[in-house]
Amino acid sequence: MKVAAVAIVALAILIAIIPIFSDCESQGRTLTLENGRQVSMKCHWTARAELALGVPLLAVGGLLAFSRRKETRRNLGIMGAVLGAVVILMPTALIGVCVNPDMPCVGIMKPALILLGVLMVAINLAVVVRSLGQEDEAA
Amino acid sequence: MHVIRLAIRNAAGNSFRSWMVFFCAALMAGFVISATLVIRGADDSLRLALERLGADIIVIPEGHERRLESALLMGIPVHCWMPDIIVDEVAALPGVVAVSPQIYLSTLRGAICCSLPELFLIAYDPATDFTIRPWLELNLDAGLALGETVGGSFVYVPAGEDKLLVYGYELDLKANLEPTGTGLDQSLFFTLETAYDIARLSDEYAVKVMDIPPRTVSSVLVKVGRDADVHQVAQLIEAEIPGVTPLETNKLFKDQREQILSLLHSVVALLVITWLLAMALIAVVFSLAVNERRRQMGVMRALGARRGTVLQSVLIEAWLLALSGGLAGIGVSTLAISLFQRAIIAVMNVPFLFPPPLRLAGLSFGALAMALSGVTLAVLVPAVRISLQDPAMSMRE
Repeated sequence: MKVAAVAIVALAILIAIIPIFSDCESQGRTLTLENGRQVSMKCHWTARAELALGVPLLAVGGLLAFSRRKETRRNLGIMGAVLGAVVILMPTALIGVCVNPDMPCVGIMKPALILLGVLMVAINLAVVVRSLGQEDEAA
Repeated sequence: MHVIRLAIRNAAGNSFRSWMVFFCAALMAGFVISATLVIRGADDSLRLALERLGADIIVIPEGHERRLESALLMGIPVHCWMPDIIVDEVAALPGVVAVSPQIYLSTLRGAICCSLPELFLIAYDPATDFTIRPWLELNLDAGLALGETVGGSFVYVPAGEDKLLVYGYELDLKANLEPTGTGLDQSLFFTLETAYDIARLSDEYAVKVMDIPPRTVSSVLVKVGRDADVHQVAQLIEAEIPGVTPLETNKLFKDQREQILSLLHSVVALLVITWLLAMALIAVVFSLAVNERRRQMGVMRALGARRGTVLQSVLIEAWLLALSGGLAGIGVSTLAISLFQRAIIAVMNVPFLFPPPLRLAGLSFGALAMALSGVTLAVLVPAVRISLQDPAMSMRE
């Protein structure tokens, strides 16, 4: 379970950090309105949302490392899997990324988040399955 | 059945060691499948691009060879012009059985008149064409009419619109070509008549005029007779017609082929090193494991288990870990390669085509088999050693 907890913490950090450096705004690209004002593209808001998702996922990993009761592990696993699914949904359905396939958010940020989200869901589901057949650890 | 249960219990008993073997197997299988997918994908992509070209020789104005390759491979538009009289001059040469002119254009980058970012546009002559027409005949009942186009696999009509806008001209996207992983996937094909119509109306509808110099073409596609030698015909074109370069299509993309070859050499070297290290690590881990389990094995033998059963229990434990690790490595690597296709193309500067599901399944099976055999080889020595040990000695130690 310790290995899973470490993996969740590592993935949570990557989920929070990668979008900050791979959204279009980080590469100096913004939308310029007719009045000359520059506004962020939607991939920037996806990056912000992923940063917000990284924090509870980090907490899930941390708590899992110290949890001894199998019910706690199971619940943490379910929560991690749901949050992992939201990590995938942010760039694909909920907010999205830029339309132009040449943009860095399409080439790097979106695939990275889908991959990390899939891994997060898989590890958390494994935690849930494992916790079903486990005994509570002694304090 | 008991042996399998024993192997599972042994694997679960020391999770650190099991994770080590799992990660080694994942690394071995993941590395093999990634390397195969990237190299085969690049190679397939080049081959498909050459097949799509369908000509034996492409005649272009002198000095545009590299830019044409970039256009065909990476979709970076090229603009080159030569007098259209060259079409007749090439057709008149011995060994040439068909010629067809093409005009290369591009959409405006980021202009409001165009619904797509900078795209490579290829205008062909339907009367003489022998490269696009075979595909069109298979997929569309009639050829392309005025204002109609077919696009590469990446070309789509933007949401909320029913036509593609090019220089303010509305094009009807009739179909998409099969993906090749090259610049052809982001190209638009239409007739010369449509190209001239776009150019004529661009003065009125576009922020910038589409300029097609009169009585010019960008390239001439040449088909050589069965009895003629392509290289000799190319040499003849070079000698007879000044100011042009004949590109033999089977020699196109030389730089990319060399790049794939050097990549293959580096990958094989890395693969060998990784495999040796992973196998050594697995061998050490299993040597430690069987040493710790000498008593257990001794008791098993004393209770009547045969040498083969002991050997089986160690090998099954290794296979279970290798199978799960290998499947995880293949799954993660395949997902990563499929998601990062565009980044791979951009970083490596070679085209890339993801294989169809059946071939992917075959490659995955091969990678898994290689990981299983690697792990078996690494585990064989400690497994045989423990199975040959005398039970009384094992229990006493």
